[in-house]
Amino acid sequence: MNNEHLIRCHICETVNYDNALTSECRRCHTKIRASLRCSYNKTLAFLITAIILYIPANLYPILITKQFGMNSESTILGGIIHLWELGSYPIALIILVASVVVPLLKFLLITYLLITSKHQTHSSSLDKHKLLYITESIGPWSMVDVFVVVILSVLIHFSGIQIYPGTAATAFALMVFFTMLSALSFDTRLIVNHNKKSNYKKGKALHAS
Amino acid sequence: MIKEHELDKLIICKKCHTLYEKVPLTKNEKAFCNECNVLLYQQDADMLNKSLALVITAGISLFIAFNFSIININIQGLEQSLTLTSLFMVLAEHEQYVVGLLFLFIIVIFPISILLSTFVLLFFMKIGKAPYLTKRLLILLAHLKPWNMVDIFFISLLVSMVKLFDIANIELGIAFVAFLFMLILDIIITKNLSFHELWLLHAQTYGYKDE
Ligand SMILES: [Zn+2]
Ligand SMILES: [Zn+2]
Repeated sequence: MNNEHLIRCHICETVNYDNALTSECRRCHTKIRASLRCSYNKTLAFLITAIILYIPANLYPILITKQFGMNSESTILGGIIHLWELGSYPIALIILVASVVVPLLKFLLITYLLITSKHQTHSSSLDKHKLLYITESIGPWSMVDVFVVVILSVLIHFSGIQIYPGTAATAFALMVFFTMLSALSFDTRLIVNHNKKSNYKKGKALHAS
Repeated sequence: MIKEHELDKLIICKKCHTLYEKVPLTKNEKAFCNECNVLLYQQDADMLNKSLALVITAGISLFIAFNFSIININIQGLEQSLTLTSLFMVLAEHEQYVVGLLFLFIIVIFPISILLSTFVLLFFMKIGKAPYLTKRLLILLAHLKPWNMVDIFFISLLVSMVKLFDIANIELGIAFVAFLFMLILDIIITKNLSFHELWLLHAQTYGYKDE
């Protein structure tokens, strides 16, 4: 059996032939063999958009506190440092991971996957599939900071004191949206294609009850 | 060329893309990937009924979560409560339209669509009718899945509460419990409802050429 010509439909999980005869999944009829070049370009375009949005997301204030007519603004990093100084270490860490580590890690992972899809590398396709899976699953967690800012702005909404989201909230939310689109546009065949020989390891499914 | 039913005996792991030949399972058994321990497929004859009951319960929780207050706070006599309506009113007042739109989709439209589609899908698959509709719903659900953020919204609620802990009296509303309940149900449904099995069941129930 020619294992290297089998691919997984990302919509219905069905195993399909990767041949030129048909461009649709045999079960759900989703296009699963659109051009790889198109997938590459889409992933790259969404990634660049996200990276550009990440700049205003860090430079502009994400949270503005208006207290008796006085405005004080705080950026994402400023907020994390402030929380750390106050001693709320767990919260500071959650925000640090969600708003800084996860987005940067996603940028790096997608860039790595894009670069290695064009050039021969020593890394195994098995690891790269796992990296793509991780990239997809950690994506939404960056939304925590935006959610928190919105929740706080609803609750701290009095005549004397008000908290409201700054420009960075919009930039950040859009950044998360575009990184998710970027990861979703990445076609797994970009990993599969160039080292066809050792593509799949075949085995019996492991049992457990 | 292998025939279609031969291809159906194969499965590719969603995480590491290792190809496996499926082995028959007995009742309530599960098969995991050798490489990354991800659940590949399972045998559960009662999947439709169980999931249907869970989805209905989740729907009730969602209704409560959307219509009652999530958190009430009290700062020196001043009171404020977080509800879905107050959330969108405040966002509109601050002219945060993009964030508001994103919230509308992530918190309201997607969860409702996911639950409603799953309910309709399971109902029609159970009685074995409407092949085209059920197929569209299966595809729709696959597209909606990555945008489900109930878990992240709940974590955000907890983070916000910790931030307000020092300056305000916090009281949890009914909707907070409903959100927590929905989160738990969501995890159980995801564990129970295998889309791989649903697609196979769809092919068995309606035949391959349903269009
Ligand atoms: Zn498919
Ligand atoms: Zn695996």
